[in-house]
Amino acid sequence: MWHNLLTHLGGGLFLAATLRVSTPVLFAALGALISDRAGVINIGIEGIMLAGAFAGVVGSAFTGNAWLGLLTAIVVGGALGAALSGAVHWLKADLILSGIALNLACASGTVLLLFALTGDKGMSGSLPSKVLPNIDLPFLDRVPVLGTAFGHQHVLTWASLAAVPLVSLLLMRTPFGLRLRAVGENAEAAAIAGVRVARVQFLALVLSGALGGIAGAFLSMGYVSWFTGGMSAGRGFIAIAAEVMGGGLALGTFVSALVLGAAEAFATDLQGIGLPSELMQTVPYIVPVVALVLHAARRRATAA
Amino acid sequence: MIRGAVLATGLTVLLLLAVVGIVLVPIALALPDPAGAIGIFLLGPVSDLRHLGNIIEMATPLLFTGLAVSLMFRAGMFNLGAEGSFFLGAVFAAFAILEIPLPGWAIAPVAILAGGLVGSAACVIPGVLRARFGASELVSSLMLNYAALFFGLFIVNYVLRDPNAGAMLSYKFPPAAHLPRVLPGTRVHLGLPIGLAACALGAFYLFATRWGYAARVVGANPGFARHLGLKITAVAASVQALGGFIAAAGGAIELQGLYLRFTWQSLPGQGWNGLVVAILAGNNPLLVPPAAFALSYLQVGGDLLARNYAVPAELVGLVQALVILFATASAITRSPRLARLLARRGEQRDVA
Repeated sequence: MWHNLLTHLGGGLFLAATLRVSTPVLFAALGALISDRAGVINIGIEGIMLAGAFAGVVGSAFTGNAWLGLLTAIVVGGALGAALSGAVHWLKADLILSGIALNLACASGTVLLLFALTGDKGMSGSLPSKVLPNIDLPFLDRVPVLGTAFGHQHVLTWASLAAVPLVSLLLMRTPFGLRLRAVGENAEAAAIAGVRVARVQFLALVLSGALGGIAGAFLSMGYVSWFTGGMSAGRGFIAIAAEVMGGGLALGTFVSALVLGAAEAFATDLQGIGLPSELMQTVPYIVPVVALVLHAARRRATAA
Repeated sequence: MIRGAVLATGLTVLLLLAVVGIVLVPIALALPDPAGAIGIFLLGPVSDLRHLGNIIEMATPLLFTGLAVSLMFRAGMFNLGAEGSFFLGAVFAAFAILEIPLPGWAIAPVAILAGGLVGSAACVIPGVLRARFGASELVSSLMLNYAALFFGLFIVNYVLRDPNAGAMLSYKFPPAAHLPRVLPGTRVHLGLPIGLAACALGAFYLFATRWGYAARVVGANPGFARHLGLKITAVAASVQALGGFIAAAGGAIELQGLYLRFTWQSLPGQGWNGLVVAILAGNNPLLVPPAAFALSYLQVGGDLLARNYAVPAELVGLVQALVILFATASAITRSPRLARLLARRGEQRDVA
């Protein structure tokens, strides 16, 4: 049994599961990265993800088109990012607490709206929502490991892989990215140099929210094909942990998201061989804590 | 000081009214009978003894989690582990009740103690990891809340589960485990006086002892604390342990006050409610009880609305979110014009 499990870990199925499980975490972690580099870490990404999952289902059900559902999720995510910016820049509320408030509002707001639309508080089953497609690569089917790993992945899984270099380019190679990092490093100095701090942070939060919206759309239009209350289940927080572990870089964030995804996929497999499912469900939340501690300890050791 | 407190309280009451109006009015207008819906939300909770009892009963756990969050925030840590501690506290209270052979009189207090000690882990671990390694307590406490949920469910499913109950429920508790009722005609139990006493003790600790002073200095001004020679990380971490114990004991007390067996399948949300209470109370233990009663008033109003109209009780979540937002929005709370309006004088006072 253990031998089988170990061979499985190196196999295409496990790799495929890891990529699938990592997708929402990766999108949200890239969103957290953009906001963090601008100095306005988006704790609300957990709630934004939930709202994105809801918006995707509702958008696709009412337009009959999965892509318009995705667009709805992106727009709603971006709007919630803008709302967080409004709370911080206009109302001058605390950044972290506003993010928590956003999470609370999304958790109850999605249930209220779901009830208003379907008369059901729990699940969107009665809405005729669509799912986004997988991308089939038949020519990979004969390649041993890669075929199973990459042959039939979800379109948003591929998009999340593509988003890594794009976010990296945006942050590191564009004038906007330079201003964004300058604001995050030292807002006062950036302001003196003529950067409009609030505007840059607003845009960063909108982008961050849009990525969180895509992460949510994957949950309800790929991972499963419906919306349930609280379905983000802390993935937004896991994404923030991935971002912190990633050391502020897109590539590092990508690697961390993959590691956390692999931990979750592995825990799911262990449930399959009969280990207590409740204990295995703690793994995706304990691994980020351990990784955070290792990361912090190493950073402290380098600083000393 | 007193003028400042009156001003702050007036502002908080105004804010609560504004938030309720913002959420309630549009939703009520969508209902066939808007005035009736608003009426039942605002007046229903105080209409009779049973509903008043509901307010007190729902405020009881908030006394503990609100106090816990207030203390932890005062010591300068953004620890959100109260949610996990509350849940684990209840799980291990159930564990002590069902698994430890004890004489009848000892069951209830030992269960509260056991739940409090084990459950505090969800707050202690993030505090220690922060103090020892510099790992963000905010992120790790958010993660550990979920870990606490699933670990607790594991204990319930594999150790405490009653195979004859059908669903995932624990065995029934012996009568000696239950906390006695204190108000006839309601479900208000001994947890209420314990919670009120805890808030009073918390205020004494924070404002009248050297340990509380150390905690406040560490939280408010770490640089000054270092000058005083305080061991910043040790002080901060020990306050997280205290907060975790209070939140977890609150979970144990909630379970023993209201439940015949362990029935929770998900996090009950009392840690988040405690955060809202702490914010409303300005992290002041003496203001935790009024804040807890105010929040629970809204919750009972929401429940009554849900029972009589087609509006889910989740409405209260929106109210809470706006409360957090507006209570911390310094553009509102520090607005000189608003302060003048409330003080009816030209001069501004520092809101203590």
